[in-house]
Amino acid sequence: MAGLIIVVTVVLIAILAPVLAPHDPAQTNVVDRLLPPFWLGGTMEFPLGTDNLGRDILSRIIFGSRISLLVGISAVLLAGAIGMALGLIAGYYGKFWDFLIMRTVDSLLAIPNILFMLIILAVMGPSLITLILVLGGTSWVVYARMVRSETLSVKERDYVRSARAIGAKNGRIIRKYILPNVISSFIVIATLNVATTIILEASLSFLGLGIQSPDVSWGLMLSDGREYIATSWWVATFPGIAITITVLGVIFLGDWLRDVLDPKIKE
Amino acid sequence: MKYFLKSLLKTIPVLFLITLIVFLLVRVTGDPVSLMLPETATAEERDSLRESLGFNEPLPVQYFTYLGNLVQGDFGDSFRYNTDALSLIMERLPATLELAIASMVIAVIISVPLGILSAVKRNSFFDLFITGGAVLGKAMPNFWLGIMLILLLSVTFQVFPVSGRGTLWHLVLPALTLGTGIAAEMTRLIRSSMLEILGQDFIRTARSKGLGEAIIVNKHAFRNALIPVVTIMALQTSTLIGGTLITETVFAWPGLGQLLVQSVNLRDMAVVQAATFIIAIFVILSNLSADLIYRFLDPRIKYD
Amino acid sequence: MKKYVWTTVLGCGLVIAGCSSEDAGESGAGEPVETSDSKTLTIANGTDIVTFDIHDHNTTSTEAVHVNMFNYLLTNEGEEGFQSDLAESWENVDDRTWAFELREGVKFHNGEDLTAEDVKFTLERVANDDTLLEHGNYNQISEVNVIDDYSFEIVTENPEPALLNRLSRLGSSILPKDYIEEEGWEVFLEEPVGTGPYKLQEWRKDDRLVLEANEDYFGDEPKWEEVVFRSIPEDSTRVSELLTGGVDVAVNIPPTDVERIESTEGVTAVQSPTQRVMMMVLRTDEDSVTGDPKVREAIDLAIDKQAMVDSLLEGAGTVTRTRITPGNTGANEDLYGESLYDPERAKELLAEAGYADGVELTMSAPNGRYLKDRESAELMAAMLSEVGITINLEFLEWSAFAQRYQERSFEDIFYIGYGNSMFDASLGLERLTTKSAEGETDYDNEKVNELLLEAEQNMNAEERIEQFQEAQEIIAEDRPQIYTFQLDAITGINDRVEFEPRLNEMFYADSITLK
Repeated sequence: MAGLIIVVTVVLIAILAPVLAPHDPAQTNVVDRLLPPFWLGGTMEFPLGTDNLGRDILSRIIFGSRISLLVGISAVLLAGAIGMALGLIAGYYGKFWDFLIMRTVDSLLAIPNILFMLIILAVMGPSLITLILVLGGTSWVVYARMVRSETLSVKERDYVRSARAIGAKNGRIIRKYILPNVISSFIVIATLNVATTIILEASLSFLGLGIQSPDVSWGLMLSDGREYIATSWWVATFPGIAITITVLGVIFLGDWLRDVLDPKIKE
Repeated sequence: MKYFLKSLLKTIPVLFLITLIVFLLVRVTGDPVSLMLPETATAEERDSLRESLGFNEPLPVQYFTYLGNLVQGDFGDSFRYNTDALSLIMERLPATLELAIASMVIAVIISVPLGILSAVKRNSFFDLFITGGAVLGKAMPNFWLGIMLILLLSVTFQVFPVSGRGTLWHLVLPALTLGTGIAAEMTRLIRSSMLEILGQDFIRTARSKGLGEAIIVNKHAFRNALIPVVTIMALQTSTLIGGTLITETVFAWPGLGQLLVQSVNLRDMAVVQAATFIIAIFVILSNLSADLIYRFLDPRIKYD
Repeated sequence: MKKYVWTTVLGCGLVIAGCSSEDAGESGAGEPVETSDSKTLTIANGTDIVTFDIHDHNTTSTEAVHVNMFNYLLTNEGEEGFQSDLAESWENVDDRTWAFELREGVKFHNGEDLTAEDVKFTLERVANDDTLLEHGNYNQISEVNVIDDYSFEIVTENPEPALLNRLSRLGSSILPKDYIEEEGWEVFLEEPVGTGPYKLQEWRKDDRLVLEANEDYFGDEPKWEEVVFRSIPEDSTRVSELLTGGVDVAVNIPPTDVERIESTEGVTAVQSPTQRVMMMVLRTDEDSVTGDPKVREAIDLAIDKQAMVDSLLEGAGTVTRTRITPGNTGANEDLYGESLYDPERAKELLAEAGYADGVELTMSAPNGRYLKDRESAELMAAMLSEVGITINLEFLEWSAFAQRYQERSFEDIFYIGYGNSMFDASLGLERLTTKSAEGETDYDNEKVNELLLEAEQNMNAEERIEQFQEAQEIIAEDRPQIYTFQLDAITGINDRVEFEPRLNEMFYADSITLK
């Protein structure tokens, strides 16, 4: 439950960012740069302090939630959609398609996805869209695998066999019998993957290929702030805390969903 | 043996697909020629270099040339170092293997006891604590953890050297950085596989026989829980190697990860292709061997 | 069985603990000053060297390592002028001919004697082979005539007033002809041989390059037994190495860390000017918005460069209105240390140019190539927006930036930092001649073009300097390039050594001494 509360809060913050943020997240002010948080001698004007260009950290975290969540959620939706479709095809139709899809899955699984992303983003240039496409385009394999194996087992159940025997169309069987069985595991994995994606985005920022200014994401803030860890710790620590809390929330939500949706599922 | 051969056969199309992915990834996305020449180079000079590298051929032709070279063990030349890519990679491989193995050892040391304990004491405060810790470990990006460890253990307390490769002592921080993230994942997996075993019939039988909880956990559950650990470890190989890209950069560790990051930055694509391919083979082999070990350890699983 | 669990856990723990305690004794981790009189000098660079082919790179940090292994004919010591190195004396015979006398008794690391043949081999290679990266800076040389073992003449295509500048920089090291011809380049690149005070012991790529003293060096005896150049890409790691005594010298310290280093006992941070000047490069053709000189002036006046230096660089830079900074032949020092900032006037100028309601421009900048490049661009964009210029910022990672740079396909403005290893205005201003500017700035000022082309071949040193200075004045008013600041290098130094960074950013190991 705690997970749900955290996630809903973060989503609300992202939606209401323009209302909640006290400052324009891009507003620079060299005079007020690297101000500490208010309890360490800063002012209430910049409650969590300012960064190296004098931008308000609180406002940047609030606005950063938008891109971090956008990247996390859309990449997962994309990956989920591809993985679901290919997993169903592989599991349901089998044969050649199964072979082709599953061997592709095996190949992609053999290449560390951060390496994959590094190459594509470096060459194509890191934009928000590319980032989402690449994150989504490389992480679908997990879903495909899961959906395929669930499909295989459901397909052989008696009621599905009999439905086929009486001539139900493939589309209908998939919709009526297979999808409902797959969907709960799917949601659980997808939720957990949002967390992974948010962290991956931060790692890509470290390599200089994540979100690019003037957009702002937590990963970018964390990566930029590393230069100030020893001197102005607040620049990186607060976005770091934001990531941790969100990831924590998302993982708890995933665990909770698992218990609620299908107590049988194990990782 | 038959199973082994069958698995090996199955990897052939996978390898083939990997070559295709690696080739497309690099060749379709960019033009290394402009980076290989000085900024004053004329269009003609660029064209002639492109010609001599075969970049003007149609893509399928280029791919088969690439494949043909690959079969002969020719992975292309690094333009950055003016040497063949494969030997460059082999030079770096030991450093990365050293780091990966040490990280795995650390991950196992952390995750096996914690995973088991949190499963045995399910839903206790202890369990919550470990699960929370695992999530924290997962939520912390590698580069962040690495920098923090340096600041804390090298600069403030001066226990470990900051960076570079040398003694075992140098290995601790990078391995800890890389190992922690893996450990977090493994702890969760081991916990749930342990829970599964504790819920199984033979444990219930043992319980009903009135055996003490400690004996049950140690004698029955632990041994059986170790079996999936092998698989879980193998599944982390890809993550582990991916993690070296960042960890090696933070710790100036002269391995494959740093080579890859720098080669991508300089578009030294022959090296990128070769390294990606070698890594993929490595991951496949480790998964394959884990599979075999798993079958060997757990006689309940039949060869098909 | 219980035992089994705990022995496993304990065993693993002990293995780690055992290894560590043993190693701690040997490596001395955690005792940074233990090596205080060690004869090993360790320098932390941000990148590894690129190659040992001295002609086929254009990287200052690589050259900074090479200078310890090789020698130039002469060195350029700025104010003190040219100093003898391998050449004992030189003389300008006529407009196109220079005569040199080589120092006798110089031996390469493999025992071979240095002769005029080696000089001919080296210089003609880079002058003739157009695939080499340094070719463009040496192709002015048409031939080298060997007179005897120790005398030779260099003949240039055209009058070449900057020849000595060209011969005292990157790519000017003299290579062993016989060794390379007999063994081949492949061997040379693995086992390079030079005449310098240090010779290669080991190169572990992306890790460390170890040099050892060359006992037979012709000059003063090398001061160090061993010189280690480490490659540490991550800034904070490099700083940490300095703080813990892991390295004696660390380059590229982020300005933020200066205070922290200064307040740590045993280490200091020094700031010193470099040859690198950061600038916005603008399109000046009539079709561009920035083709209007008023718009360019408005951009210049809208940016408070001193504030950028003070805040972003924490003082590690100097504002300038010219790219040719002091220490370079032809520098116009009146333009140095100055900058213009008048946002009110900038607004007026924009209104006069017809953009009273604002205008939108695109600026491209590299990300992570130069000190605070991205932050600078962000700050400039913010300052420009204050006067009504909306900047669409486009950040590119270096390779992508380099590609666009070569294609000359940037839109209105790009932000870049140029160095100048020649210490002469000709290299610094060459890009603003009409021919070279084509497609980039499209700058076409008849007077500037004429001045630069004349100065290029003017053998009258004084007149040449005046020509360069006049050109700089016009450029400062015309603003095809708007200079923001000259970057300082911040170098961290362990108190056990003494070191004064040089303008050319070279690390002569023997100029770094034990206290």
